[in-house]
Amino acid sequence: MNPPAGATWVYALSRNLGQAGLDGLRGIGGGQVRALASSQLTAVVESVDPGVFSAEKLQDRLTDPADLELVARRHHDVVVAVAALGPALPFRLATVYLSDERVRTLLSERCDEFCRALGWLADRTECGVKAWADPDALNRARRTQPSARSPDGQLARPGLADHSGAAYLARRRAELAARAEGQRLAARCGEEIHASLVPLAAASRLHPLHDTRATGEAGLQVLNAAYLVDSASLPAFAGSARAVAARAGACEVAVTGPWPAYSFADRPDA
Amino acid sequence: MSREWRPTPASRERLPTHPEPASLVDILERVLDKGIVVAGDIRVDLLDVELLTIRLRLLIASVERAREMGIDWWEHDPTLSSAARDLAAENQLLRERIGALEAGSSGANRRDGHDGATAGTAPRRRKSAE
Repeated sequence: MNPPAGATWVYALSRNLGQAGLDGLRGIGGGQVRALASSQLTAVVESVDPGVFSAEKLQDRLTDPADLELVARRHHDVVVAVAALGPALPFRLATVYLSDERVRTLLSERCDEFCRALGWLADRTECGVKAWADPDALNRARRTQPSARSPDGQLARPGLADHSGAAYLARRRAELAARAEGQRLAARCGEEIHASLVPLAAASRLHPLHDTRATGEAGLQVLNAAYLVDSASLPAFAGSARAVAARAGACEVAVTGPWPAYSFADRPDA
Repeated sequence: MSREWRPTPASRERLPTHPEPASLVDILERVLDKGIVVAGDIRVDLLDVELLTIRLRLLIASVERAREMGIDWWEHDPTLSSAARDLAAENQLLRERIGALEAGSSGANRRDGHDGATAGTAPRRRKSAE
């Protein structure tokens, strides 16, 4: 088999996008990013060297942390630029075709689906909300509420000076119960924030929580979510997210965005 | 991005009207896990890459902090960066074991629907760290 003559890296899909908006935009391979039109759809692509972007070499690049960061950021930068020009469907990293013609085939085969998705995303943007809670602080706050049920409150105190085995076991049980209660309260804090934000968004997606033991952050991450909101109401949504997080007892909240609608590209109507 | 721990509620603010450079974890989460998935002509196994990013989450926190201090020497040395990766994986394993020993096997901080991906990759992580 002959080596492939070309390779086309796909960044995103848009509608009726001309080349003018992309002029000067450089992609992963350092080349000019191009608008590749097929009926109403425009794929934003770059011609890359098939020798440099072969499956094996790409795999190697993406499993090297420094290179992965470079590729991911450049891909993201182009997607951001495209999303600034109009509704855009981002492609997953490393979607590469052997020719422009293969991309056109994809566009014509799935035109209806892509057009529906782009219509749904019009004038909307993705907002990221992450929140952290301190289980111990939530637990303490709950215990000081007189109205709150306190299943382990009575276990926490007895026998601090008592060195008997029974007292030790009682203290240990109380500690474990308190820890479990803190975890439960933290989980509920995340659920509360999410439940309050869902009605304010056109759609939402929950991402995996980050393990704060891995990230070195204090507390527990209790929410890592993306919300699709009307672009015009993004500042208001961000304000609501912070207010809701404070009310739910989160100790920290990070609102990120506007993002291209990565989290809503694949299953637009779900 | 470094996030200082502050005890007051919801003290951290990131205004969408002034986007900061997005954090690497947030970008990777989106470009690797989200977006339109179509079968391109060149097949890349992103499962391997996703596995890597889970380990990277550990590394990234310290990488970004270090970068703010102007320390980035490992970025120009592939040996060091893969050595750091292995250390990160080993560190993660150790932390998990300690966590499991401390908390029992109840996994009390896991919540349905939130961390399926993290939980699901644990066996692969173990396998790859041998």
